[in-house]
Amino acid sequence: MEQLELLMGGFASALTPINLLWVLIGAILGTAVGVLPGLGSAMAVALLLPVTFSLEPTAAFIMFAGIYFGGLFGDSTSGILLNTPGNSSAMASTFEGHRMAKSGQAAKALATCAIGAFIGGLIATTLVVFFAPTLVKMATVFGPAEYFALAVFAFLAISAVVSESVIRGLAALGIGLALALVGIDGPSGTSRFTLGMPQLFDGISVIVITVGLLALGEVFHIASRIHRDPAATQIDAKGRARLNLADFRKALPAWLRGTAFGAPFGLIPAGGAEVPTFLAYGTEKQLAKRRSDPEFGTTGSIRGLAAPEAAANATAGTAMGALLALGLPTSATAAIMLAAFQQYGMQPGPLLFERSGDLVWALLASLFIGLVILVMINMPFASVWAKLLSIPKHYLYAGITVFSMLGVYAVSSAILDLWLLIAIGLVGFMMRRYNIPLAPVLIAVILGPMAETELRRALAVSEGNLGILVGSPITVTLYIVLAAALVLSAVQHLRHRRANRRAVLVS
Amino acid sequence: MSITQHQPEAGSVKKSQGKPKPRFGAGRSEFVVVAVLYALAVFLTIGTVTMKVQGKSAPGPQFFPILVCVVLYLVATLLAIQILRSPKVPDHSIHPGHGQFSADMLHDLGHLGKEEDAAFEEGLSATPGKTWKTYTDWRTVGLMLGGLVAFVLILNPLGWIISAATLFWVVACALGSRRPIFDAGVGLLFSSITQLAFGAGLGLSLPSGFIGGIL
Repeated sequence: MEQLELLMGGFASALTPINLLWVLIGAILGTAVGVLPGLGSAMAVALLLPVTFSLEPTAAFIMFAGIYFGGLFGDSTSGILLNTPGNSSAMASTFEGHRMAKSGQAAKALATCAIGAFIGGLIATTLVVFFAPTLVKMATVFGPAEYFALAVFAFLAISAVVSESVIRGLAALGIGLALALVGIDGPSGTSRFTLGMPQLFDGISVIVITVGLLALGEVFHIASRIHRDPAATQIDAKGRARLNLADFRKALPAWLRGTAFGAPFGLIPAGGAEVPTFLAYGTEKQLAKRRSDPEFGTTGSIRGLAAPEAAANATAGTAMGALLALGLPTSATAAIMLAAFQQYGMQPGPLLFERSGDLVWALLASLFIGLVILVMINMPFASVWAKLLSIPKHYLYAGITVFSMLGVYAVSSAILDLWLLIAIGLVGFMMRRYNIPLAPVLIAVILGPMAETELRRALAVSEGNLGILVGSPITVTLYIVLAAALVLSAVQHLRHRRANRRAVLVS
Repeated sequence: MSITQHQPEAGSVKKSQGKPKPRFGAGRSEFVVVAVLYALAVFLTIGTVTMKVQGKSAPGPQFFPILVCVVLYLVATLLAIQILRSPKVPDHSIHPGHGQFSADMLHDLGHLGKEEDAAFEEGLSATPGKTWKTYTDWRTVGLMLGGLVAFVLILNPLGWIISAATLFWVVACALGSRRPIFDAGVGLLFSSITQLAFGAGLGLSLPSGFIGGIL
């Protein structure tokens, strides 16, 4: 039980008053961006990354831990009260959650979410503590070919398997890889695509790309529709958010089932919590049908809300494990966290536990502390958080615009970065307009350099023989699983296309 | 606005009612994406061909860019074909996570039925009665873009406080605020607080402009 000892050490360094303050700030910010539609943890970390440079890394990561889970605590609020989920990770919990709100149980629904997120996150983080060393041991046998296979797996899983359109997913991947190519090539020292500008020799900063795509792109997108889209009507969340024992007993199995769905998905680069939350919702729906639950689909079943909420946070919890132990980001938010590590000169992966063990265990400890603080500030004040939905949009987005500029300028004091930021913001706007996913860009920007280095290293060792890429059981397994997933998703696409065509013909 | 919202393609609705044969461009504005992808691919191609390679490592620095170029050309061409074959007029479907997830796949995973679809429709029942020529409100986007460009131009000469306050004011007005004088105050307050908190507090370097010269 070496892990417990290390974790206790982590708690010791995370439980100082000043660090507790950072977790609290992170938790409040995280919940706030979660509640506000269209914003999420990924954008919050991207915006805060540059302004936290002067903090010591432990303090910054303790704050990011609060933001990381906080975004998932708040995201179901707007879905429940407005019937418009703030993020797609909250779509599955909107169905039953909004029904509960309509039948006068809004406060109970918000409480169910908070406890569900707490339980999912708690179990998943505990799993990470116990299994991270095993993952690390697994990763130490990885060579260049294995790392390249892992990167290819992540690229294609996020851009092609789960996405709406394979072509648009791959287009996003291509844009990301292209952005990552700019700068001096490490192995050879060749300057690539810099147009001879010395400011670009270090490449386009990850901060410029993430802030441009996630923050400025979102503001442009809002601007393009704000005078046209109708506003949603909000249900008041009156009363104390409290669950009685009967509710609790009903929801507990659903929370646990949701966690069981969510936890494995954190290790798979499927782009986040959407797939497990829908799986959890579907299971609850089937179960409700079997026991002919009258609440499901009418007044709103607490189980149908509890399961997806727990699944979302369980996914986030184990995603942190995959990130720390393997260096594999499985969602956009995890990719930004990886970028944060890189900004502080650390590379997540097997070596991180050796080189910055103190920081890793402090981060894991603060994930636990963050969860406790989050459930404490979310349970009693759920209706207060809902007030955030009435902040005037124009002030909110004006503030985000100014803050994006502040962060990017603060990193390098370079005007060129601001021009790049505006250009990338416009690209982000274009991608949102045509429903081209953003996550593949972020994954490509962050894993692209690693993929290139490992590919060249592998080919240099084998002297150009491509056989080395499929030369070990691990790589072969990864490629077979990837191929199977691609075939499955192709069949799924074709089946629906045929069904749609038939529907058109009939009508 | 939200990720799951239906997106009525305003202009094209009007057209389909009026003329029997829609314009070629209708529902095909996504060619902008094709153009961007081709431009990126051509830029990478030129950069790869004219690259001054240093060192003699076996797969050199041009190896990976060539792969990326191939992907970009291929994807741009396929996208162009897809847009030609099926223009999006009008697009009433749901796009979870801006296309990150296939709605059909989530539909199957969640065993979603008519009730869930109806619940979505209900949230969107208040579709706007008015239609516009373009889906995007270019006036608002243009104002914002203008504000950003102006900000970058005046940042160094005028300093953070004035330029950030101006940017805040422009964006707030563009997004529909009705109180310009009040907003100017809010903007000044916001920019001054950020200057104090991040400039003086956290030690970020923000340009002080001519005010810094006077003080």
